[in-house]
Amino acid sequence: MGYFLDSLRAMRTTLVTAFRKPTTVEFPAVVRPRGERYRVSFALPDDENGELACIGCLACERICPSLVIKMTPTGKKESPVTGKKRQYVDTFVLDLSACIGCELCIQVCNSDAIRMTREPEVPVFSREELVLDLARLRANSHAKTMSAGKGSELQERQEPPKAEKKTAPKADAPAAPAAPAAPAEPAAGEGT
Amino acid sequence: MSALVHGAVYGAVIVTVLLTIVALSIWFERKLAGRMQSRLGPTLVGPVGLLQPIADVVKLLQKEDIVPAEADRRLFNLAPILAVFASLAAAAVVPFSPSTIAADLDVGVVYIIAMGGLTVIPTFAAGWASNNKFALLGGMRAIAQSVSYGVPLVLATLVPILLAGTMSVSGIVTWQSHHHWIAVWPIIPGLPAFFVFFLALLAESNRIPFDIPEAESELVAGVTTEYTGAKFTLFYMGEYVHTLVGSAVAAALFFGGWDGPFAPGLVWMVAKTLGLFVCVYWVRWSLLRFRADQLMELCWKRLTPLAVGLVLLAAAWVQFGPGGAR
Repeated sequence: MGYFLDSLRAMRTTLVTAFRKPTTVEFPAVVRPRGERYRVSFALPDDENGELACIGCLACERICPSLVIKMTPTGKKESPVTGKKRQYVDTFVLDLSACIGCELCIQVCNSDAIRMTREPEVPVFSREELVLDLARLRANSHAKTMSAGKGSELQERQEPPKAEKKTAPKADAPAAPAAPAAPAEPAAGEGT
Repeated sequence: MSALVHGAVYGAVIVTVLLTIVALSIWFERKLAGRMQSRLGPTLVGPVGLLQPIADVVKLLQKEDIVPAEADRRLFNLAPILAVFASLAAAAVVPFSPSTIAADLDVGVVYIIAMGGLTVIPTFAAGWASNNKFALLGGMRAIAQSVSYGVPLVLATLVPILLAGTMSVSGIVTWQSHHHWIAVWPIIPGLPAFFVFFLALLAESNRIPFDIPEAESELVAGVTTEYTGAKFTLFYMGEYVHTLVGSAVAAALFFGGWDGPFAPGLVWMVAKTLGLFVCVYWVRWSLLRFRADQLMELCWKRLTPLAVGLVLLAAAWVQFGPGGAR
């Protein structure tokens, strides 16, 4: 009997659903709105002097878990703009087709030289378009909106708050033995 | 001779129409299944996906025709043809209107049950001839299933036979049209008998929830495991034809066949048949598959006693009911 009633309920459910508007939309013709950061791409922005910010330190290449970043650093050169010695990259290739979007490369970059861009939709018509070389990455930095994460900011956020943590246990230590000696005082102390 | 010509002409027309409906029903089923699951169903092939069955059949016919090396070749090739034949054969005695009937047998109901029962033989033959353990298991399940649903099926069919006092399908329809009820009169042995008949019909045509001989999740594809291309298509066509003809039989036996106001008999019969056909789909996309032992329990412990009771009720109605006694 239970099975019979459950069957009737199942049949009512399918009947009601059959007369509802389908949830499915025909994708290429109808595109549902997506979050701005639904997919990612990358950009290599310029620094404040108008030069490529990347100094070819290999940090992102080393941390990338899917090994999609390959670059060739130039060695130290004199910058034509500032006159200071710094390093550049000759080639920088990021294979978006294997990227897992973990953001680790952004987090380890000390010079804020690699950024993610906001991409509601990333599909392209050939695999080659997914291989981002230096020219594409620089073009992205001008053409696309950057997402919020920046190497320096992310590192700052993850760093433990050193000063507070070191002082906190020291402040507690003398307070603990003092508490039993004067039981009336903590109540007044809590209030302040 | 004229009866032979009449039968041949009407038979050819009815078979053609049935197969067309089957082809369209593939589209309809996919569309309905989609809507029941909040999907769209086929939309791209032709207007609203109407040409989908043609695309399906063309795809299936292109597939390589494989016969397993150790298979019983002749039986293997014969089984799908037999499956369609047995399913179509029952349509011969179904009256689609007072005149649209290929052969008006006096014992039409017996013929229908015999032809329906025959469908288990190609199923088992396919399972046996494939020389594949999953196919054989499916075939054995088909036999076990047929023994189970056969009894309530025949008993449920006995109810309209008893009430109408004839075994001719058109005779039963005529008797019902004298009472002008939507369902078989009287309702009480009639509608429960239809319920039993419908469940047994689902089991006989191997539709979900009783598609135990196929049982994709347990037996790969059951009896059709080794079948490809055209032969596989034939098996599926057989299943659809069986469901359609079964719906037509149910419409004739329990829902007054061609009888109905405002429209010619043929329209009513087709409408009733298609209504039941849709119900089969509705059940198929709503319920889960029974286990083999659950089917046995349902058939032997529930449906058979129920059907026996209904037959007794029908007999009592004929003997003691108002205007029932002959």
